[in-house]
Amino acid sequence: MAAFIIRRVVWTIPVILLVILMIFLMMRQIEGNPFRRTERAVPPQVQANLERKFNLDKPVWQQYLLYVKGVFTLDLGPSLILRDRSVMDIIKEHFPRSVKLGVLAFLWAIVFGIPAGILAALRPNTLYDYSLMFFSSIGFALPSFFIATLLIYYFALKVNVFPTNGWPLGFWDIDSKVILPSFALGLFPMAYFARLVRGTMLETMQQDYVRTARAKGLRWKSIVTRHVFRNSLIPVVTATAPLFGLIITGTFVIEVIFSIPGIGRYFVASVSNRDYSVVMGITVLTSIVVIIANLIVDITYGFLDPRTRTTKA
Amino acid sequence: MAVNPREAQTATLQPPPTTVPLPETAGEPVRQTSLWRDALRRYMRNKAAVGSAIMFVIIVLYCFLIPGFWFVPGIWTTLFDIDPNDVNFADVRLPPSLEHPFGTDQFGRDLFTRVAAGGQISIGIGFAATIAILVVGVAYGSIAGFVGGRTDNAMMRFLDALYGLPYLPFAIIALAIVGTVNFWTMVIALTIASWFTAARIVRGQVITLKQNDYVRAAHAVGARWYRVLTRHLLPNTLGILIIAMFLELPTVILGEAFLSFIGLGINPPDASWGSLASEAREAYRTHPADLWIPCLFIAALVLCANFIADGLRDALDPRTKEG
Repeated sequence: MAAFIIRRVVWTIPVILLVILMIFLMMRQIEGNPFRRTERAVPPQVQANLERKFNLDKPVWQQYLLYVKGVFTLDLGPSLILRDRSVMDIIKEHFPRSVKLGVLAFLWAIVFGIPAGILAALRPNTLYDYSLMFFSSIGFALPSFFIATLLIYYFALKVNVFPTNGWPLGFWDIDSKVILPSFALGLFPMAYFARLVRGTMLETMQQDYVRTARAKGLRWKSIVTRHVFRNSLIPVVTATAPLFGLIITGTFVIEVIFSIPGIGRYFVASVSNRDYSVVMGITVLTSIVVIIANLIVDITYGFLDPRTRTTKA
Repeated sequence: MAVNPREAQTATLQPPPTTVPLPETAGEPVRQTSLWRDALRRYMRNKAAVGSAIMFVIIVLYCFLIPGFWFVPGIWTTLFDIDPNDVNFADVRLPPSLEHPFGTDQFGRDLFTRVAAGGQISIGIGFAATIAILVVGVAYGSIAGFVGGRTDNAMMRFLDALYGLPYLPFAIIALAIVGTVNFWTMVIALTIASWFTAARIVRGQVITLKQNDYVRAAHAVGARWYRVLTRHLLPNTLGILIIAMFLELPTVILGEAFLSFIGLGINPPDASWGSLASEAREAYRTHPADLWIPCLFIAALVLCANFIADGLRDALDPRTKEG
């Protein structure tokens, strides 16, 4: 097990380097020198100084290595638009708010999605099962910006039960204003979990070892808790890794709609402002978050299912 | 194309169809059931899938017949002679009527044609990007699966690295690289950001198929690698690719809608369902239908694609169907 963990952790490093390289090369392809945007003619000396300050005068591979060094020392360079702030300052300020939103959305999915799926699998082809599947199809199909707009209109504007103005800024500040945004973001993972859990549970209940357990006279309750749960919740753990990516993608839209000053909204604004160092920093950051989430999921999976330890590096 | 006798011989080595053929009526010649006819029969038994397919075709017809092919220059086969981008300040914010079934927007543009035109962009981008994703995925996946060994390992490790990365930032950067946002750059951006799954599927399928006896037989009778790949392996991945296409389509359509909604996608005056929703959101209090219509179209299309994919999976890959 220790060897598996070490192998998996060591493997993550080249992956991070590769992803940074990709983002780095992609950003270099974007047309235009950020310092030549204004109408004012910049004197050549100033231009040269600027390029030296941002390491643009060095060969590309040195720039890349400097950037990688920056990533690992948590120094992503200055913002191109806000001259007195560094990318890291911006991330430090905005990222925790997005993390809070994402964690709350995930809680919705886990607290409501998984039990809903379990109940549906225990009562297949009943009214409850069908209505759950119907609602999860809707959760899948309706774009989150539509659901978010409806939620704002009906629950914040018409009936003022869940106000949305003013996102609580501190990481541990949680009040009624977080309910609507996190629900809008969590709806898709919720529907996803419910479907996945239902599917894997139904599949597990058809396995031979479940039949054996029934045949030897175990009570159904203990079969479900001892045999079915453990084996059918493993795929759920695997599914959380791509969901991290989806939730990060979702925060972009949800933050714009609910005016939450998180990293997603800042990213969208930075793209419009051509603040490329911020765009790059945020992309690198989210990618690393996803890669580390993948790592954690894989290791958890190794604990839950010993078969994967040997086959997968 | 003339059939090579060798090929005909290897073809007979394929496993016989697993399903029971239709009962023959006396006197009639034995009806040949092909794989595809069988699949069609199985598909038609799935009511939800058939209904979704009909709905899908209706939506596509509505989008492509109502405003004409205005994004393809030169072709103007319009039934209603209304330009979806035509501004008319005399008819601002009209309620639905016979002349304007969905009403008009704040510039007096007819929403019935505008939603259809937006649908052309959304569906067009959806299909174009899905096909591009499959082409890239087939190329990458089949090479990895077919060559195998160290190449396969390296290529799959590369995919693992990219897998699960949030695609929206990548699509946005890809759009920034190309510089301008239009139909084709959206297709490129969405393709770059989401071709990984298709490559994995194809690679897995090619590796499974490679171990089949008829592939070994083809190798044994001296078929070249490209012939084995194009005649035996890829045609057998076709079923899975069609399923993958309808699974990928909703993701791409939603991705396009997200990009357009946050203002980084299709630019006005052109519209997609995402940008229509984005425009309508500001006036939701007074004109809720303007938001509902494009969003319900997105939802309907996504749902239909999912049901079609389910039906296709049961039809083309009956082994996976259980219980």
